[in-house]
Amino acid sequence: MSARGRLGLFLVGAAAFAALFTAACFGLPSFGAEHHPYGERAVRAALGHHTANAIASVNFDLRAFDTLGEESILFAAVLGAVVLLRQTADERRTPPAPAAVHPPVRRFALLTLPVALLIGLYVIAHGQISPGGGFQGGVVAATALHLLYLAADYRALERIRPLALYEIGEAAGEFAYVVTGFAAVLAGSAFLANVLPLGTFATLSSGGTVIVLNAAVGVEVASGVVVLLARFLDQAVEIVLPDDGAGGGRDPGDDNSDDNSDGTDDGTDEEEPT
Amino acid sequence: MDTARLLPLVVAVPLFGAAVLVACGRRLPRIASDVLGTAFAAATAALTLVLLAGTGGSAAGPGRRGPVEWVGGWRPVDGKGVGIVLVGDPLGVGLAALVSLLVVAVLVYSWRYFAEPPRRHAGSFPALILLFQAGMSGFALTGDLFDAFVFFELMGVVAYALTGFRVEEPKPLQGALAFGVVNSLGGYSTLLGITLLYARTGELGFAPIGRSLDTRAPDALVLAAFVLVTTGLLVKAAAVPFHFWLPDAHAVAPTPVCMLLSGVMVELGVYGVARVHRTVFSGPGGIAQPAFSHALLVIGTGTALLGAVMCWQQRHLKRLLAFSTVAHTGLFLVGVAVLSPEGVSGTALYVLGHAGVKAALFACTGILLDRYSSVDEYELFGRARELPLAGAVFAVGGLALCGLPPFGTGLGKAVAEEAAGHTAGWLPALFVLVSAVTGGAVLRAALRVFAGAGRRPRNGPQSGPETTGEEEPETRGRLGRVPVTMLGVSVALLAAALAVGLAPAVAAGAGRAGALFADGTGYRGAVLDGRAAAAPSFTAPHWSAAGVLLGLLSTALAVALAQVAVRRGPAAGGAAAVLAPLRRLQSGHIGDYVAWTVAGTALLAALALPGIR
Repeated sequence: MSARGRLGLFLVGAAAFAALFTAACFGLPSFGAEHHPYGERAVRAALGHHTANAIASVNFDLRAFDTLGEESILFAAVLGAVVLLRQTADERRTPPAPAAVHPPVRRFALLTLPVALLIGLYVIAHGQISPGGGFQGGVVAATALHLLYLAADYRALERIRPLALYEIGEAAGEFAYVVTGFAAVLAGSAFLANVLPLGTFATLSSGGTVIVLNAAVGVEVASGVVVLLARFLDQAVEIVLPDDGAGGGRDPGDDNSDDNSDGTDDGTDEEEPT
Repeated sequence: MDTARLLPLVVAVPLFGAAVLVACGRRLPRIASDVLGTAFAAATAALTLVLLAGTGGSAAGPGRRGPVEWVGGWRPVDGKGVGIVLVGDPLGVGLAALVSLLVVAVLVYSWRYFAEPPRRHAGSFPALILLFQAGMSGFALTGDLFDAFVFFELMGVVAYALTGFRVEEPKPLQGALAFGVVNSLGGYSTLLGITLLYARTGELGFAPIGRSLDTRAPDALVLAAFVLVTTGLLVKAAAVPFHFWLPDAHAVAPTPVCMLLSGVMVELGVYGVARVHRTVFSGPGGIAQPAFSHALLVIGTGTALLGAVMCWQQRHLKRLLAFSTVAHTGLFLVGVAVLSPEGVSGTALYVLGHAGVKAALFACTGILLDRYSSVDEYELFGRARELPLAGAVFAVGGLALCGLPPFGTGLGKAVAEEAAGHTAGWLPALFVLVSAVTGGAVLRAALRVFAGAGRRPRNGPQSGPETTGEEEPETRGRLGRVPVTMLGVSVALLAAALAVGLAPAVAAGAGRAGALFADGTGYRGAVLDGRAAAAPSFTAPHWSAAGVLLGLLSTALAVALAQVAVRRGPAAGGAAAVLAPLRRLQSGHIGDYVAWTVAGTALLAALALPGIR
């Protein structure tokens, strides 16, 4: 399709959609309305299970099955990235050279690193009491480690980042979530039911299985994000093609019109023996 | 233990298996991770079969409604709940069983597949397949709209990664990117629709949303929510004009992945459309039935015709099979569009048979690819004479695709087309035509590749860039001997498709599934009030004289088409020129596909608009 035809088709569709969506928005409840059927029920259920943060209760108790799915999406995405960004037979690794870092950047990053890490762990640990939880805290903790990449260099980061361990940590987070679900079944309840003692309201030990599931997600997300960033950094910093750029089967252009991809393919497919 | 307790385990067991494989995969030898992956998939399949046995009543009488399980034990009080429900009605459990059995077949098929598993991650392929299984099973079993979206996304994420699995070449990554972009757009659309429904009703379950909508007359918000939710599901189902990602993804995905994408993932999109309509939008507060039926008939017919026309023109065997899937998805959409229990049970049987046949055909294509490094019909001309068994499977698969009795595809097609004939007299002709053309294309390829029949084709005017099929083999080097597992799986899949047509228990199960599925009020009662309302009575689908005759007719038509094509060789300059613009639409340009997706949303809105008047 020509660029003009494409734009025309898109605009016609988008205009019709915009009209429909605008009309739909007039049917929405007005802002600040008092009718919150699910919210009221969820807050009551959260308080009943001694979970001060109702959102954590929705995530890890009322709709814990959704969170299992969401955690698995992240798990699958990291696994997919590991597979797609793997080092292929025609690629090799070169250790990156140390780079000079501005002293102010170095000082700032080294100072922030422990603080950021601590905040990450805090956000995970207090998920059932205050806003936060495993997903958010995990990302904060994982990115905190990468301040070392800014402060020193890639090799310093690699030293505090044994990837094998993080990969196992990621699987362990997924594993722990599923096993907590199984444990409830073995205890005679429904899958992922909150079977632990509910603890004292608004303390670190409140909420029963909410803490366990929250921690499992925290471990999974922190490890998963480390693995994910490691794969991308590997591609950017370490892995190179032997003959950089010329051929090799990787088309650097992002335009994937057929003529383009065919041009490169004719070159690579010809080794086929007959 | 109550069988309902098993429902969440169908999702949890493969997730558990994936975690084990990722944690231990780097230490395990390849064969151990393959066996472990297959064992987890098989255990899940066994669970679904136990559940399926639990949903069965007596063969002829009204069946029981399946088990209902509230995850975490959050049962609703007075019909108001806060939790997620899994519903084990026969159709959902049957689809989960189909997913699991196909996953087992695919994992066995790929034991000897793939040049090298990703280094230090030998377990990653079976782990991804297990995650795929969990996503698809969760989608089939859930009774909650947001939960369905979560599992929709899970299967999407895994499918994108699996499509781009062969990162050594640029094309798989481009195909996976188009797949990812278009399907993610569909996902956002569904999510936006869910927020509209949540804003209106404050509910996320299918049954509570439906009940709440029915308290007032439908308006623009209901229409927009319907269009948005359905768009995402139609993208997954590869309905026209949301279908462009499918042939591009199938052409480049590893063959075992194609078996899953075509065999069951795309069909889950059709299931999603039907399920959401039946439980949420079928009441007085939803989209009026005639408008829904009409919209789906238009889209289904267009999908079936376009798929068939494009299928006939391909010489890249994987693309040919991919367009055949598009065509059949169109027929499945027509089958559920007629809104009768017979339409649903016929379509269910059709999907079961199609899964076996299509997966067997892809399995044979994989064997060709790994032995001859090509899936091009012209280039392979006569070269596969030395593989008589694979040739037989491919040819019989082609015949089964036409709806030849007594294959499951034949029975399903017969029942669905009879149900469709009650809605519009010309619909049976569509079923006959589309299955004849797609089956004929497969037969034509079988005659050329495995028998060397007719004239040797040369690159004619048809050899567009998107149709040729030069590929790298996916196994370690080229295969000398075809492994027993690969051939065995294709034979077993074809035998399963035959069994679907012959076993009365399967037909009775499909009949019960269709009757229960069509009863939306009964579904709401069973989910929200825990009422085990008596299921409606039904007659089990069976072979009718008209169905057998129409199946034979489409098969004869396909054989004739294949014969003529093989004799005349690939010329037909006039027809090819007429259809060239249609082929150019499949440009590989993601921007084009996005524009079509947006336009398709508008088209769906226009078609469904009379439903809120």
